[in-house]
Amino acid sequence: MSDANRVNLSPFGHSAGDSIVRSKSEDGLGYFAHFGVDRNLIQTSFEKALSSGGDWAELFFEHRVAHHVGLQDGAVNRAFSAISLGVGIRVIKGDQTGYSYTEDLSRKSVLDAAATAAVVANGAPRLDPIALNSTPTPDRYPVDIEWSTVGIDEKMPILNAVNEKVFSADSRIIKVQVGFANSEGAVFIVDSDGNMRFDRQPMTRISVSCTAEKNGRRESNSMNLAGRQGFEFYTPDRIDGLANEAVKRTAFLFDAKPAPAGSLPIVLAAGSSGILLHEAIGHGMEADFNRKNISVYSDKLNQPIAPDTVTIVDDGTQAQARGSINIDDEGRTGQRTVLVENGILRTYMHDRISAKHYGVEPTGNGRRQSFRHAPLPRMRNTYMMPGPHDPEEIIGSVKRGIYAETFTNGQVMIGAGDFTFYIKTGYLIEDGKLTQPIKDTNIIGNGPDVLQKTDMVGNDFKFDEGGWVCGKDGQSVPVSLGMPTVRVSDITIGGVNEGGL
Amino acid sequence: MSTLLDSALSAVELAERMGADASSVAVSRSRGVDLEWRDGALERVTEKTRQSLSAEIYVNGRYSASSTSDLRPDALARFFEDAVAMTRLLEPDPHRGLPDSVRYEGRADVDLDLYDESAAHVDSLERRDRVQRLEALVRESGANLPIVSVSSNISDGIGESARVHSNGFIGQRKVSSFSASAMLTVLDDDGRRPMGWDYTYRRHQEDMDSLDWIAKKACQRAAAQLGSGRVQTGKYTVVIDSRAIGRLLGALLSPISGSLIQQRRSLWEGRLGTQITSPLITIFDEPHRPRSLGASLWDSDGFATRSRPIIEKGVLSTYLIDQYYARKMGVEPTGGDTHDLDFALGTQDLNGLVTNAQNGLLIERFLGGNSNETTGEISLGCAGRFIRNGQLAEPFAEANLAGHFGDIWNGLIALGNDPNPNSPMGCPSCVFENIQLSGT
Repeated sequence: MSDANRVNLSPFGHSAGDSIVRSKSEDGLGYFAHFGVDRNLIQTSFEKALSSGGDWAELFFEHRVAHHVGLQDGAVNRAFSAISLGVGIRVIKGDQTGYSYTEDLSRKSVLDAAATAAVVANGAPRLDPIALNSTPTPDRYPVDIEWSTVGIDEKMPILNAVNEKVFSADSRIIKVQVGFANSEGAVFIVDSDGNMRFDRQPMTRISVSCTAEKNGRRESNSMNLAGRQGFEFYTPDRIDGLANEAVKRTAFLFDAKPAPAGSLPIVLAAGSSGILLHEAIGHGMEADFNRKNISVYSDKLNQPIAPDTVTIVDDGTQAQARGSINIDDEGRTGQRTVLVENGILRTYMHDRISAKHYGVEPTGNGRRQSFRHAPLPRMRNTYMMPGPHDPEEIIGSVKRGIYAETFTNGQVMIGAGDFTFYIKTGYLIEDGKLTQPIKDTNIIGNGPDVLQKTDMVGNDFKFDEGGWVCGKDGQSVPVSLGMPTVRVSDITIGGVNEGGL
Repeated sequence: MSTLLDSALSAVELAERMGADASSVAVSRSRGVDLEWRDGALERVTEKTRQSLSAEIYVNGRYSASSTSDLRPDALARFFEDAVAMTRLLEPDPHRGLPDSVRYEGRADVDLDLYDESAAHVDSLERRDRVQRLEALVRESGANLPIVSVSSNISDGIGESARVHSNGFIGQRKVSSFSASAMLTVLDDDGRRPMGWDYTYRRHQEDMDSLDWIAKKACQRAAAQLGSGRVQTGKYTVVIDSRAIGRLLGALLSPISGSLIQQRRSLWEGRLGTQITSPLITIFDEPHRPRSLGASLWDSDGFATRSRPIIEKGVLSTYLIDQYYARKMGVEPTGGDTHDLDFALGTQDLNGLVTNAQNGLLIERFLGGNSNETTGEISLGCAGRFIRNGQLAEPFAEANLAGHFGDIWNGLIALGNDPNPNSPMGCPSCVFENIQLSGT
């Protein structure tokens, strides 16, 4: 159902996979020629798309091949693949969008889709031919070992190795599942201003979940790693780290209890705590919500919203990171965008429509799940810059509170500003020291309030390599997170009193 | 329909020619139109046309599943060739194989009436008129509210599919869907901008809630959030609205799936035939309710569906075990899916439940949170209204409910008579005692 104001983040998204179609030519026309796409089809499509007086039109061609292979009960005995091919056609007239897509790239189907998208406008056709110009893309995710060259037989030893490492690390482990996903997408974006952009988008993710038993009690946990990389992602260190961490996080739960209930200070560990930024401020800074006046940050531009030690960035440029993009899904080069600078709200995240509305340059945040969706302002890799405090000093400053270390998911209501994130593992802090392990506790806060209370920022920083998936308006996109150690002076801990601490 | 069935039949043959020992293939296509209207203007028109083929293949004791939207004949031949090659490389799995064809038999002779002919003739001007009218109705109903934005949405669509298994299963389906929704954002005195919304989603156009009803409900929900306060941390009697209860019900029922039982991740392992909730809970899975959102004559294994109990008077009647996990566990399959859930209802509506609760909280929305299917812990953000002296009082937000979902469902003291008609979950509003809430 359309629940546009509720957005969420989870690490358990769609699978990913390899390319079967290869073109030596690294441009969109070369790649998609195989599917019948040529200059004539593009020109004729624009004629149709602008036949009712649209201001601007865009063709988004996409081909994506995804593979998943899974291990359960000791055998790599299941594989899944998905091929996705199509074109999304968008026509804009003022603030209005006509969108149509087809999975059939025959000339007739594409032209029909263009004619359908055109109906959003109602005026005289624009008939001048368009001069098409290709612009090169940056290369933020070079691949050493292309997925098209890697067979299942090469992936299977990795799944088996993770399985064996997990079982040998702890005799209490009774079940292990491992999933290995990789995908390669090709997107070719052409707009009626004549811009042609092409990108190849690799992605891989490995996940492991384990169940352990101790004195008749069972606990499960999971862990995953992801990046825009080829098969070289799977170094021995990474595989060992994944298996060891998954076991550690599962065994941890035997000693952990639910957190106490009520309002307490929280210290967020460096790394995936960036989930706080994603929910507390990130979504509220996506310009579509502000253009519509429905974000809690709608009237806060250039105002102080956090202490001056807080600087928050949304960055599409980090090498090989899961949320990085060479170009966004409107053909804009991915950028590094400072959202909050020393506590001052500096800019929203824009797509083409919102940038035009605000009279600013797009920030390269126009993203979409696939050709089946119109783009929206979306986050990429969102993180807080390190601050002045020593992490030990931050923990030491808390008399009684919570230390949150790993997370599963979060969500926000854009307009009200209330957001949540779910702590899988952490500790109680008593007299400045980490004491009782805690688990399975949701945190709820209000974005602007929590930012004001972010009163200590660590001088450490960790970028998280988890396979995060961000959902908004029915569309999922890959993102990532980063954070230094941070203290929030007061937040609501959704624990329990009895059996708590 | 015949062309989809022909495609599925010929794809099964193609899979065999390419080396599959057995296969199941589903071919589907759908189309739909979606209109979004906001603050006096059309925001977006989306026309969706989809086609896809998905196949599960079995080669030499090995298994894989693949899908594609590239249905050109040469592309399909390569698709199966690649799928077979990929499958051969896997380790064998003795539990995989097509479902037992005996269980395809006995398909109910019922017209589920899931397709409304009018879906093929929706007029584009009429859609535009309805989406515009819905916004106007919201502004009319919410004339006294501090509205900052109103958006409305109208959509309709048709989906068709044909499924064939090489051991004899054939199934064809054609469904329509219609939906309408309205959202409004209001400006609170403290600068918060809460949103109220409502929707209707049905197989037949004539079954939809009226636009007027949706507009009024959305306005009521927005108005009810103005001036939200906080809850004091403590234990409360809690009424949960049927629109929100799905979250708590999902936590209770997801661990009865065969995969979680077999993978030793379910807290309900070993609990078949024992009490897992309050005796007030009786739930049947009803697959054959005409026009219903969850209705189907067969399940995902192709087995003929029938009505069956899930929980009777609080006692767990069945796990949901599909063919694969049944073979792994060495038991008979019970069917891995649920369809429309049918609850033994109470006699009171939401107002009656609130009156009886006297003092406590009405939860109208959950936000985020999660539950642990292996241990039963649950912790969910929530918002709603205080109940004082049997009356709804001021709203609260930024609260959290936590506990063990088994304990919570054991603490159920009353069910309402108001299941949400827009959901196959079928659960009415529920009242629970002694529930932990966190706030200030």
